[in-house]
Amino acid sequence: MPADPELKQKVEELLGENQVLLFMKGTPEMPRCGFSMRVVGVLEQLGVEYGAVDVLPLLDPLRQVTGELADWRTFPQLYVNGELVGGCDIVEEMFESGELAEMTGAEQPAGAEAAAPPASADPQHSPPLQIENN
Amino acid sequence: MADLAEVKGMIEEALPGAKVEVVDETGSGDHLRATVHAPQFAGRSRIDQHRLVRAAVQPRMDDGSIHALSIKTDLLDPGG
Repeated sequence: MPADPELKQKVEELLGENQVLLFMKGTPEMPRCGFSMRVVGVLEQLGVEYGAVDVLPLLDPLRQVTGELADWRTFPQLYVNGELVGGCDIVEEMFESGELAEMTGAEQPAGAEAAAPPASADPQHSPPLQIENN
Repeated sequence: MADLAEVKGMIEEALPGAKVEVVDETGSGDHLRATVHAPQFAGRSRIDQHRLVRAAVQPRMDDGSIHALSIKTDLLDPGG
């Protein structure tokens, strides 16, 4: 089954508008999946501005879209400059190596290590983006 | 519930010369971690390396025997 063309176009627009875009289960404030939470934790430690899309309301249609765009169907997915960087494993690995900071233009925090987001995280991200299923 | 030896074999077949380790992360047999060192990873981004590994085991993802696969990839170290 091909992806819904309107949804695909919406996703492409979001990718164009957000240098760093995270497709996740839940929201940065309330992640609904441990892997999504870990990626949020990395982005918060980097202090980079990012957009977040909650995939849960449209899980299967969004799988179709990301399958066509990036040959990847599981979430979370982190995109930088419109390109899929990876899921939780890759994001943590590239955070620890400093590659993610370099890629996003962020400053690598001292003693960086992947961890849960601090309780007092000061969110730098924009509000969760909504994709409506019309 | 996946057969760890079969999954390891599928990856080795797709990536000849690779060093592959597959472990059951949770004891439930369907959350696996694959650590793969392969010469085919040279010059590829991490996501592409993961795509290669995932493609090799896709049939076991599709039939539900693997629920979650966490992947760690690296170039085959020359000394190994």
